[in-house]
Amino acid sequence: MASNACMPRFGNEAPRSAGRAVLLTLPILLWSLLMFFHPGGNTGRLWLIADGITAVFMTTLFFMMMRTRRTYRWRRWFFVSVGVLFPIGFIHNVMAMRGTMGIPIEEMIAGRTPFCFMPIPLLILPAAFTRTIVFPGSILPGGGMSGSGIASMVGLWLAITLVIGKGWCSYACFFGGIEEGVAAVPKRAKIRKIDPRWRLGPWAVLMAMVLLSLGLFESAYCMWLCPFKAVSEYVAARNTVGLIQNGIFMLLFGGLVIALPLLTKKRTQCSFFCPFGAFQSIFNKASIFEIKIDQTLCKPCALCQTACPTMSLSNESIARGETLMSCMKCGACVDACPRKAAVWHIKGTEVAGKPERARLMFLYAAWAMAVMFGGSIIAQGIATILHFLA
Amino acid sequence: MKLRAKLGYTAAGMTVLAAMLTPFLLMGLFTNGVAALGLHVDEMYSGGPGVRTIQSGAYSINIHRPVFPHMLQRDQPFVQLDWKPVSALPGRVSDVVDLDGDGKPDIRVSFDVPKDPKATLRVDVESLNPHYEAMRNAGKEKYSRLIVRVDDAILVRVPLANP
Repeated sequence: MASNACMPRFGNEAPRSAGRAVLLTLPILLWSLLMFFHPGGNTGRLWLIADGITAVFMTTLFFMMMRTRRTYRWRRWFFVSVGVLFPIGFIHNVMAMRGTMGIPIEEMIAGRTPFCFMPIPLLILPAAFTRTIVFPGSILPGGGMSGSGIASMVGLWLAITLVIGKGWCSYACFFGGIEEGVAAVPKRAKIRKIDPRWRLGPWAVLMAMVLLSLGLFESAYCMWLCPFKAVSEYVAARNTVGLIQNGIFMLLFGGLVIALPLLTKKRTQCSFFCPFGAFQSIFNKASIFEIKIDQTLCKPCALCQTACPTMSLSNESIARGETLMSCMKCGACVDACPRKAAVWHIKGTEVAGKPERARLMFLYAAWAMAVMFGGSIIAQGIATILHFLA
Repeated sequence: MKLRAKLGYTAAGMTVLAAMLTPFLLMGLFTNGVAALGLHVDEMYSGGPGVRTIQSGAYSINIHRPVFPHMLQRDQPFVQLDWKPVSALPGRVSDVVDLDGDGKPDIRVSFDVPKDPKATLRVDVESLNPHYEAMRNAGKEKYSRLIVRVDDAILVRVPLANP
């Protein structure tokens, strides 16, 4: 029976029993209740309903991950929900507070510009050389639409990065879900051959923006290139330069977040453009969790490469038994591999060891972060919708 | 189990623990750490620290330290003045201000104070010292040349002519 040696490890893997899946989900249920219904949390009927729906949603998705032993499709439901509901909640807040998505100069001078995580890499050099934050927000809580300051967002980013590393891009980013949702729409990709050199795009954008931000002493990416200004906020167009900036935002959003994902079924903005993603790849070294390719099981069929939404697997990396550093730990390759050669892995342990244990430990950490951060965004979006319906 | 594997699982367990502690401990710890770095928001936005306050009847004029652009920053140097509180300002303000504290007037600033807080503001600045640029009917064109209302203050930024 020589062929037995080549049999996939979990070839006919049965779903986990419902009882065992419920048991494994219990910690996340308790965590969701703690996050959404803690004392001093949101009050009011609409918020309670929104929090309840979100808690059930997040717990159900985790249950399905446990039951089916699949990660990607359930995580995608969460991620797309965050991507769609973030603009709804955010734009509603912005419109309610200042009546426009354009940030007036008064708000910048007052230090009330909402701070997202995108400019973090651009702030480092100016801060290191001059102790200056080149962003018109507030460092301490009190500024920004959510009442949080730059320090809070940086603190949150550091904590989540310590836990899941580059997993930020699959479990915490509130922008990537839009293109992941768009990429899921077509059944097949119209453009299948993509030059792998495009993978260097985020690094080029990161380097250019870091240097420009230092030279111009402004958050250059926010001022000129962020595609998500189109669905959040933008510099109020007071003159021709402002009009050009807003035109660029719309163009990049239409191209990288809508058109290209439809044609390629890839997260093109994340893969070829996002400077924060490149920056986050550096910090991924701090994370104990990773995806590995078990060389003893892999018969290069390229299914994992096709499934990967960010082109983070190449023939060379597969031959080395690892993903590229742009891997966001979304789990698409693990779910796609019929031989279970793509596995979740804890650094230091054997690749052929206990991949399901590694997956579980990663998912507990990642989903705890997802419930805490993404869950609050989902709840806010639902509360906004309920507010309009009520 | 090898030592490396034991260390790996221990680190993974600690990571899960760190996730559980994030909202209660880690986030606050990191936030306070960043806040303690002593960073400040670029003065091109904040206007720089106030250095002198002139009392003028029921209202005061707060004069800030001059702000100079960094490297390739696309703005002129300027000095910011805050008139506050807005409720104490007359319908038209026309003040002669000694900006550098040498006892001699440097500029005359004139603007109307509309009752509607969202109304557009315009300012005229007459230069009495060649170090400060005059402004005529200026709105909010640039960070270095503007009049805006922020909360309970009216802010005027006057560009420096010869930094």
